[in-house]
Amino acid sequence: MSEATAGSADADESVLERYSSRVLVAGVTLAALALFLVGGWLFPDTILGTFADVLTSRNTLSAALRLSVPIAFAALGGIFSEKSGVINIGLEGLLIISAFTAIYVTYLTGNVWIGFGGGVVASVLLALLFAVVTIEFRADQIIAGLAVWLIALGLAPFASQVIFGGPNTPTVATPGAISVPVLADIPFFGALFSASPSVYLLFLAVGLSWYVFERTTFGRWVRASGENPKALDTAGVSVTRVRYAAVLISGVLSGMGGAALSLDLGQFTGNGPTMVNGKGFIAIVAYLFGNYNPVGAFLSTLLFAGLDAMQTYLQLQGIGVPRQLIRITPFVVVIVVLALVGRTRIPEAAGDHYESGEE
Amino acid sequence: MSVRDRARDVLERLAIASATERILISTAALVLSILVGAVLVLVAGRMTACTANEAVYYFGTGFCYDPVLVFDRLFLGALGDPFSGGWSPGGQFSITLRETTLLLFTGLSVALAFRAGIFNIGTQGQMVVGALATALGVLWVSPLVSGVVGTVLLIPFGILVGAVFGGLYGAIPGLLKAYADANEVITTIMLNFIATGVTLYLVSGVFKDPNSPANQTVPLPEYAQFPAVLFGGRQDFSLIALAFGLVAIGGLYYLLEHTAFGYDVRTSGIQPDAAEYGGVDAAKTIVSSLTLSGALGGIAGAMYVMMVLGTFQTGVPDYGFDGITVSILAGNNPIGVGVAALLFGVLKSGTTVVQFATDVPPQLVGVLRGLIILFVAMPEFFRLIGKRVTDAGEKAVATDGGRPGGESDE
Repeated sequence: MSEATAGSADADESVLERYSSRVLVAGVTLAALALFLVGGWLFPDTILGTFADVLTSRNTLSAALRLSVPIAFAALGGIFSEKSGVINIGLEGLLIISAFTAIYVTYLTGNVWIGFGGGVVASVLLALLFAVVTIEFRADQIIAGLAVWLIALGLAPFASQVIFGGPNTPTVATPGAISVPVLADIPFFGALFSASPSVYLLFLAVGLSWYVFERTTFGRWVRASGENPKALDTAGVSVTRVRYAAVLISGVLSGMGGAALSLDLGQFTGNGPTMVNGKGFIAIVAYLFGNYNPVGAFLSTLLFAGLDAMQTYLQLQGIGVPRQLIRITPFVVVIVVLALVGRTRIPEAAGDHYESGEE
Repeated sequence: MSVRDRARDVLERLAIASATERILISTAALVLSILVGAVLVLVAGRMTACTANEAVYYFGTGFCYDPVLVFDRLFLGALGDPFSGGWSPGGQFSITLRETTLLLFTGLSVALAFRAGIFNIGTQGQMVVGALATALGVLWVSPLVSGVVGTVLLIPFGILVGAVFGGLYGAIPGLLKAYADANEVITTIMLNFIATGVTLYLVSGVFKDPNSPANQTVPLPEYAQFPAVLFGGRQDFSLIALAFGLVAIGGLYYLLEHTAFGYDVRTSGIQPDAAEYGGVDAAKTIVSSLTLSGALGGIAGAMYVMMVLGTFQTGVPDYGFDGITVSILAGNNPIGVGVAALLFGVLKSGTTVVQFATDVPPQLVGVLRGLIILFVAMPEFFRLIGKRVTDAGEKAVATDGGRPGGESDE
């Protein structure tokens, strides 16, 4: 008991540190943005000018939004799962399986939206397997999550090879962009109103997730299931059911992210780490950095995706840094952010199996 | 009998039960994943197209792939067809041993970290870094020596270089975890991507072999590569490398079980709070075990360069991820890693045989890799089945041995 109280005192103490490092990262980002913008305005012909051009380019924002979609969806899913007490390291696997299945079903049916649904179903099934293994059979959540990732990493290229004769699928139709008239013509921010349907779905999902956590009974149950499962059990709500629901929701959300990822490009590429390429793991860092808040997770995703978008355009501008090195910036940034944020206060009971008294 | 004696008695029985149980669970997991793999092959056989003559028929339905043939090729093929005569050490069996050798090191790398309670998913990256370092180091030194003397000097040197650089690369997530509380699962995975990116940059630029279209370094001279002993040199396998792997198993076993450092590692893995209370320097243990784990990954890279490729090339196969499966299958026990590496070596080498004999894609082994981890991770499932079986026969024996040893309650 005394140990537990000492632990919570520690946590209180580090709240300050935690917020200060978050503020630090946000501050540095804003300062860098300001430097590039002002510097670029003063010296348009220098490298600062190039950065400013890239930053204010409407293309950068639209690319950042596009790149955010899979990461942010997976991050939202991760929040649901981890808040309920099940750490879902397998988000990457859910993205991979849904990205492939979405293309496959679209290829079969010729309809992008049925394909999208197919991707979500595949991800939910894999999430269900993960839920059964961790909740029912008490598997270690980290190891089971790794298994989910590795299974998908093997299964998607395997299926693609069997069906299409190669790890990459043929291209299928893409959903195309939805443009809001007038608003889409605004400079820079117009990118928000002329985007793939998946971007709008993401806005919707961020808002809905926030609403669920802050305003609904189910959101409170999910939080309680991760923080104090015993209390939830005492209140007569089944912890097992809440956790199942939360993990399945993480399957739905990640499935939407994975399906959107491949369908927006019209192809699944399965070489090496596949087209998902670590996005599921970046998503985990995004929600840790966003402190388990859906809006926070979305904003930190936008930071990572923004960097990714910038590197694409910087490559085109040719600033003299080799392509291969620019490509690893998001991964380096993830490590730096993780090191600065340090241990976030994960839900009290996350990672633990919960055994209700009754058998 | 005093309470204390009874407690010790129960603990001892648990230890024995858990060792036997571990082996049973790992075997069951292996068998179950192979069965699931067979179903997968059947399903895949329905989804691909073939002529009626090529198809095989089970339960009145035609399938393009025959799982019996697949697993026949997978196992017997990997062993070089020992029952059909004409077995030679230079055949497929030496490829199996080659894979086993590499998996030994990546498996040990993962196992050491897991024993310290650290999820090192970065063995792959550490292997890549070690491999490039070995190639460059050996290339740099090789003009100074030649012949047999060269081999005797260069191979240990190459292994050392691989171990040092792999170790340094493993130290990064160790330092980040120990001093910045950064979760090692994420940092090691990110470092894998970074290792791939940076080595691609180096090998496609500064260190590229100008005479090769591939992104690779200049080939190592013949005398800087592992000599083939007993097994023909055609399959890039060296018994010396395997022997070195067996020494590594013994070394790690001794280190974990019979040294003070090993005690620190094991206690930190089982009960970090208690270990720290008992005077273990947690930060130091984290950094040193990840460094050592990285060094083992780096040695795998050195072996890959000096035994298999004879150069460094981008696109190093997933030995690091396979190492996770090997270690988990072995219950993170160094001696178990030896057995698991051989089993998984058979799977890896067998899939290429399968690809020749049937059209089943070699990515099958990737699926099996994940399935094995998943099944080993759910001992409760097998306990339930085991309980069903034993309950039907007689009353359960040693019921305390059937419970997970204090894992469920905190």
